[in-house]
Amino acid sequence: MNEHPQWTSQAKALLDASAHDLDAATLSRLNRARQIALAQQRKATPRWFIPAGLVSASALLLLAVAVWHERAGSPHTHNAVTAVAATADDADALADDDDFYADLDFYAWLDAQDQDPPG
Amino acid sequence: MVATMPTIPDRPASWNCASVENLAERTLDGFLRSVERRALRMAELATLNRDEALDVVQDAMLGFVRHYAAKPAADWAPLFYRVLDSRLHDWHRRRQVRGRWLTAWLYGDADDAIDAIAQAADANDPGPLLRLAGSQAARALDVALAKLPLRQRQAFLLRVWEGFDVATTAATMRCSDGSVKTHLSRALAALRRELEDYA
Repeated sequence: MNEHPQWTSQAKALLDASAHDLDAATLSRLNRARQIALAQQRKATPRWFIPAGLVSASALLLLAVAVWHERAGSPHTHNAVTAVAATADDADALADDDDFYADLDFYAWLDAQDQDPPG
Repeated sequence: MVATMPTIPDRPASWNCASVENLAERTLDGFLRSVERRALRMAELATLNRDEALDVVQDAMLGFVRHYAAKPAADWAPLFYRVLDSRLHDWHRRRQVRGRWLTAWLYGDADDAIDAIAQAADANDPGPLLRLAGSQAARALDVALAKLPLRQRQAFLLRVWEGFDVATTAATMRCSDGSVKTHLSRALAALRRELEDYA
């Protein structure tokens, strides 16, 4: 929805037309003004600046990737992860062992049942 | 109309220093092309003289390139119009110092003389331009816009023609959002009144 009064659409169209219908001499002068501004920009931009910036950015990126890769693939990290996993497995095994020792009497009775021939 | 950002050309086959510079320059060139005509019309409505308007636009382009070309391209349009607005103020001040009575009459601070709220237009009213046809409407609009105080005209052109929102217009004109709304409201009321008189 247009937030401005309706007649402003016509005003906008008229302004667009006036900007579109500029004569060739005016367009030529605008072109010249633009070229002067761009020439100033060419002078102002040191030629070494852009490649130096690209090289620096690339170097930083490579460094970041190398550091990340080093950390991700580090044997110390791997061992630590393995050690943590092993500790967890051992804890589970110990918990199972506790159950085993608590039921020793039951296993002894079961063993005796297996050895006794059925009467 | 919102200034359309120029599309970045395809990456050239050989990516070297010269290509990067060419790409940056072509992007900047495309942007300046996209705004130069409207900038000229804005300056012309302020100066009422095409030669002086061209000088103002050239100054604005130089100032923009010097100070803001390194900014992200998405920010260029408001920044360019900020520089243009500043150049128009400079031009206006120089004219006032020279004491040309016509300038004082045309651009004097009439902001306080109008009760904008009382004269606010109905948004659904087709408006005064419909009664004028073709070149007559264009001429009437030019005259009406030229009679507006600078701040009101800039608020109208940036909000209605460029399509900037209130915040962007405020940043461009270096004033508050409230001031933009006030300037625009007064501009709309004054334009409507002027165009109705013209018809």
